[in-house]
Amino acid sequence: MRKVCIIAGGMSQWGVRQATLRELFQEAGKACFEDNPMVTNKDIDGLIVASAYTERLATQTHLAPLIAEHLGIKTRSVCARVELLCASGSSAIIMAYGLIKAGVADVVMVAGGEKLNTPQKWEAFYSQLCSVDHDYDGAHGLGLPPAALAMVAKLHMKKYGTKEEQLAMVSVKNRRNGLNNPKGQFRECIDLDTAMCAKVVAKPLKLYDCCPLTDGAAAVILASEEKAKELTDRPLVYIMGTGQCTLYNASANKVDWTSWEALRIASKKAYDEAGITAKDIKVAQVHDCFSISEIIEYEELGFCKKGEGGPFVESGQSDFGGQVAVNTDGGLLSCGHPFGGTGIRQGMEIMKQLQGRAAKNVEGAQFGLTHNFSGMIAAQTVLVYGREK
Amino acid sequence: MRGISRLDGKYAVTMDLYPPQGKEFTRIQPFFDNLKDGRFTTTKCKDCGKLSYPPRIICPQCLSENLEWVDLPKEATVLVSVVEEIGVPVGFETPLCLAMVKLDGAFTFITRIINCKPGALEEGDKVRFVSYEVEPFPAEFGRETVEIKRYYFAFEPVDENKRK
Repeated sequence: MRKVCIIAGGMSQWGVRQATLRELFQEAGKACFEDNPMVTNKDIDGLIVASAYTERLATQTHLAPLIAEHLGIKTRSVCARVELLCASGSSAIIMAYGLIKAGVADVVMVAGGEKLNTPQKWEAFYSQLCSVDHDYDGAHGLGLPPAALAMVAKLHMKKYGTKEEQLAMVSVKNRRNGLNNPKGQFRECIDLDTAMCAKVVAKPLKLYDCCPLTDGAAAVILASEEKAKELTDRPLVYIMGTGQCTLYNASANKVDWTSWEALRIASKKAYDEAGITAKDIKVAQVHDCFSISEIIEYEELGFCKKGEGGPFVESGQSDFGGQVAVNTDGGLLSCGHPFGGTGIRQGMEIMKQLQGRAAKNVEGAQFGLTHNFSGMIAAQTVLVYGREK
Repeated sequence: MRGISRLDGKYAVTMDLYPPQGKEFTRIQPFFDNLKDGRFTTTKCKDCGKLSYPPRIICPQCLSENLEWVDLPKEATVLVSVVEEIGVPVGFETPLCLAMVKLDGAFTFITRIINCKPGALEEGDKVRFVSYEVEPFPAEFGRETVEIKRYYFAFEPVDENKRK
C-alpha cells in the first residue's frame, strides 16, 4: 500500500457570504492552488466534493462535475460527492486517502462547503430535521443540536461536576484562537463574562457556546508519496491513520449520552494505525460545534480522564503551551461551520501546523489529529496526521 | 408568473415534517394505524426476541422478517429536558420543549413534550403518550390527489398542574 500526503490547502472567506455555493467552491479551490504553486489544476486526477445540504439549499445534485468544471479540473480517477453532514469533509478525505493508498487515484482534490444562509434563515434549521432520523426524531422538532447537546451538557454537569464556566472557557479559548485564521467567521475575542451573560439558546448553552450558520468552502490536495515529492518542497505530512465509527443513529438507541463509545473506537483505530497514543498528539482540531462537545472529546480522545474535560480546559491543558493545543485556528465556534468544509479546514490547519507554517505554531508537533461527530452524535470520525521525521 | 417559492411568502421548499403514511407508501402502516387508536407500538422479532425501535421490517439482530407488533409502555420518566428558544423549525411552537425520557421498562429516547406550562417540566416528572392527527399526505393516484390521513405522537405531563 502506498503512503498518502496532504500537500496543499486553502479556504474561501467564511461567514454570512454574498456568494453562491459554486462561488464559494471556486474561491476555496483557487486559495488551495495558491497555497502550493507547485501544483496546478492540470495535476489533479480526481475530485471528491463534500457537501451536505446542496440539494435543499443550493438546489443542486451531481455537484462534483460542476465544481470540477469551475476549477478547470479534468478528472480521470474519481469525481463524486460524499455526505456525512458535519463530517462530510473528513469523510471525503478518508475516501481520497483510501483511493490513493490503493492506487486507484494519484492526486486528488478534496473540496467541501455549504451555502447555509438563504434569504430566509429558518430554511437551514428546517433542513436539519432531515439530518437526524427524520421520521422518528425530526418529527418531534429535534433538529441538530443545540437541543440534544444542551441535554448532554446538563447530564455531564450533573454526573461529572462540569461547570457552566468551563463550557464558556472553551468558547473564550476558541474565539481567541480565531485570531489565527483571517478567513474565519468571527475574529473577535470574548471574555468569560461576555460568554456567561450571553443570550440563552437552550440552557445551559448560550450564544457563544454554539457555532454559527456559515457559508464557506475549503479544499485540500492529497497525493501519493511519490507524487507529493514532485509536487511540494515542504516537509511531507502524511495521513497516518483514520477511524469512523457509528453504533446507532436514532435517539432511542443511544446507550449513554455523555460517554461516546463510538469516538473511543474510532480514535483507537486511528491511533493504532498511526502507531501512537493520545499522548503523542500535540495539536488537534476537534468538533466544537458546541462548547460541551469539545469537553467530552478531550475525554474520549484520551487527552484526559473521563469526566475531567472541564478541569482540562480550565487548567489551560488544551491551549497553546498545554498538553495538546486544541482548535488552534478557532475551531467551529470561531471559524464557523459550513458542514462539508469543516473537516477540510481542520486538515489544512493540521498540515500547516506540522509543516511549521501555521499562523501560530505549536512548537515541535510531530502528530496532529482532526475529529468530527455528525448527526445526533451518531457517527465519529478521526484522522491522525504526521510529519516526516 | 408566480413560482412556487412565493407561496405563503415562504422561501424555497417546505419540508414534510412527518413520516410517509398509507399502505401504498410504507410497510409499517400498522405503527400509524395504532397511533390513530391511541397505541404506542413497535416491532419485536419472533425468532430472536429483539425489540426494535423505530419499527422495522427486518430484525437488525438476526435479519429475520418474522416480526410482531407489541405495545410499548405509555408512561415515561423525564431524565432531562430542554426548552429551545432560538432556531425552532417552522411548524413547531417556540419555545419548543424536548425531553430525554425513559420509557417505563424500555428504552430512553428524545420526545417532544406538549401541553406543558413553559418551564414546568422537571427531572423525574412522569409524562404520558399522546397521539394526534397531523397534516395529511397528499398522494396522487392516477389523476386524483387523495389526502391520506396521518398521525403522530408526543408526550405530555401526567401532573395536571403542569399541563397547559
